Amino acid sequence: MVRDALAGLIPVSIITGFLGSGKTTLVNRLLKRPEMNRVAVIVNELGEIGVDNDLVEVSSEQMMLLNNGCLCCVLRGDLQETLRDLFVKRRNGEIIDYDRVVIETTGLADPAPVMQTLLTDALLRDQYRLDCVVTLVDAVNAPGQLAQFSEPLKQVALADRLIVTKTDLVTEQALAALTGRLREINPRAPLRVAMNGEIELAFLVDVGLRRTHADLEEVERWLGEGEEDEHGHGHRHDESVQAFVLRFEQPLPWSAFTQCMEVLTALRGPDLLRVKGLVNIEGKAGPMVVQGVQHLFHPPLELAAWPGTDRSTRLVFITRGIPRQIVADLFAAIGAVTTRAAGAKVN
Amino acid sequence: MAVEGTLRSGALAAHLSLNMKLLGHNELAGFGGIGEGINMQAAGDGRRILWLAHESAPKNFTGVDVTDPRNPKMVVQTDLPHADVRSNSLDVVGNVMAVAYQTKKWGLKPAGMDLFDISKPEAPKLISHFDRSGPSSRGAHCVWFADGQYVHLTSGAADFEPNDPKDDQFYQIIDVRNPSKPVEVGRWWLPGTRKGDAGGPLPRHPRFDGGYRPHNTNVYPQRPDRAYIGYIDGGTVILDIADKTRPRLVSRWRHSPPFNGFTHTVMPLFNKNGTIIITDECVRDNGEDWPKLAWVVDGREETNLVPVATLPLPPAETFIKRGGRYGAHNLHENLPGPCSWRSDHIVLGTFFNGGVRAFDVSNPLQPREIAYFVPGTPRLAPKGSSQVNDVFVDDRGIVYAVDRFGGGVYVLEMTI
Repeated sequence: MVRDALAGLIPVSIITGFLGSGKTTLVNRLLKRPEMNRVAVIVNELGEIGVDNDLVEVSSEQMMLLNNGCLCCVLRGDLQETLRDLFVKRRNGEIIDYDRVVIETTGLADPAPVMQTLLTDALLRDQYRLDCVVTLVDAVNAPGQLAQFSEPLKQVALADRLIVTKTDLVTEQALAALTGRLREINPRAPLRVAMNGEIELAFLVDVGLRRTHADLEEVERWLGEGEEDEHGHGHRHDESVQAFVLRFEQPLPWSAFTQCMEVLTALRGPDLLRVKGLVNIEGKAGPMVVQGVQHLFHPPLELAAWPGTDRSTRLVFITRGIPRQIVADLFAAIGAVTTRAAGAKVN
Repeated sequence: MAVEGTLRSGALAAHLSLNMKLLGHNELAGFGGIGEGINMQAAGDGRRILWLAHESAPKNFTGVDVTDPRNPKMVVQTDLPHADVRSNSLDVVGNVMAVAYQTKKWGLKPAGMDLFDISKPEAPKLISHFDRSGPSSRGAHCVWFADGQYVHLTSGAADFEPNDPKDDQFYQIIDVRNPSKPVEVGRWWLPGTRKGDAGGPLPRHPRFDGGYRPHNTNVYPQRPDRAYIGYIDGGTVILDIADKTRPRLVSRWRHSPPFNGFTHTVMPLFNKNGTIIITDECVRDNGEDWPKLAWVVDGREETNLVPVATLPLPPAETFIKRGGRYGAHNLHENLPGPCSWRSDHIVLGTFFNGGVRAFDVSNPLQPREIAYFVPGTPRLAPKGSSQVNDVFVDDRGIVYAVDRFGGGVYVLEMTI
């Protein structure tokens, strides 16, 4: 029997979005759903969460137990410390056996460090996995915020799921313009409109790979495949944020792949906003799962088998000002000097 | 009131789990106190019957149909002849089941082992009784029956007089190729434990005298010439049993004192690291004999066993307060039969109020906990907590954990 490196990990959802975009409302609504009865929510301040009094069973400054089995706790120190502390308390039977963690970031937060913590902290990686980054976008204020600040742009670019809120306060044309803009920044993240935090749960959970025997549907869901074509926005790009996919039909030598990623992260790490995908490595039975945020990458993980018949390497890049061609050229150049990668042509 | 305190008191009533999900539960008709014999039969009609030996009288053994793990159904439950005997241990090969009998005092009967024909699980039929009663014998505590030919037995015998009453059982190899006439073919005891032995009697453990006698006596098809024995205060014993008439000591690892004795199970994983998992049973309530650990031992050189780690457990100070025992006990023993799950790097053990816990020992220097299930306190639990006694994992990866007193059997799905 071989252990599944993903199956035992507790999923973590990150809920991000600019000030006033409705994160708290969403979390509040999620907590009331019967399926979310063993969730630990990490917030910045318990008071802000605004849970109905009749839902609160017991509360302290640091932690609040809800009568549906959920738990809210305050982010103390850093996220690593909070997540470790929660796991230790869970193991000791001091708190509920939560089966999911939801982290609500502050409006001004750059979600990248939170994601990096989950991808790279060796202790946390043993217990948790990043499931989904949900970014809320306030239809009223987002157009201005996206033009004025860098954080909202990054929050949209890093998202696995986009939720547009307060759409009842804008015209249809304004909404269409905004969703078009969001698609330009992040064409692969499925987008939904939510009223008062009401959103189907399935849209937000089980986005990340949750087992090494993942099937095609699970992989496509994680990579957001089908999204851009469906909406007809493929290959359009924002002037600063670019989203593109590289595909290689032939297997790559592991050394060639790691050299490419090392060069990219060394030269343009901060601009390599997010990379995720499956890589066909020579000599491996299953694809390698690659996930990175800026210069930090999760250790590569091999899936048990290829999902579906397509065995090509598929890498989704979201970058700040790094065009597709530069990355493609880099792979071609390093592939060319790596003798065994002669067949690894960029399509 | 602090939230954590409230949650803790609530947690005693509720299950704690990580990567183990409760599929089914059966309190076994009110007799939910199970010992340390669990095995599964693939019945002729396609059913899977889980056989459980009871911790103590009045019940002997129980068969549970676990074909549908979500709906475990009791098919048979048998009684002991009197209250001064317990069965505690059983094993199954094909349609034959071996059951151990141990009496509370010397000289009582039945003391020894029964072989049953369980072709019809609802009506187990006695094939033979192997009598091990005697003036200095309580009979048998533990059976290991895996190859259909020999039972490796921990028992006393009529002709064995120990130096100390606690050393009244020893290792015996019983030929059951003719199940109606079991015959002893070989035996071994720790020198110094039998009256008349040179060098005896042996010094006792200074704080917790558990005795010098075998507990589990494991023999695997990978090494049919070796018996791996937890020898209570005698530590770990590996015997060469290539000649079953003359078992010979290969090595012994003794870590108590300074530790607190009661070595229980010695389970080689037969992996590339030579890993052997060795448990010391917790036998006292409320942390009195803590630490009782599960050791990760490097057995690449079998004559020089080297402990390299222990399985990481949650903090003793937290769990000791839950009541009853907290510490190591039984392991899922990678039984050779067709219904048993086997792994050379994942280990499941029971830890009384610490529940059933799974560990990954791929890196023996840094074993990792990967799953656990701590049942909520069963109704009328005498210790105020669940006391998970033994575990068996079937070939579907379904985990069966049993409570020592009243909780019965918990059927769990493991997602690791």
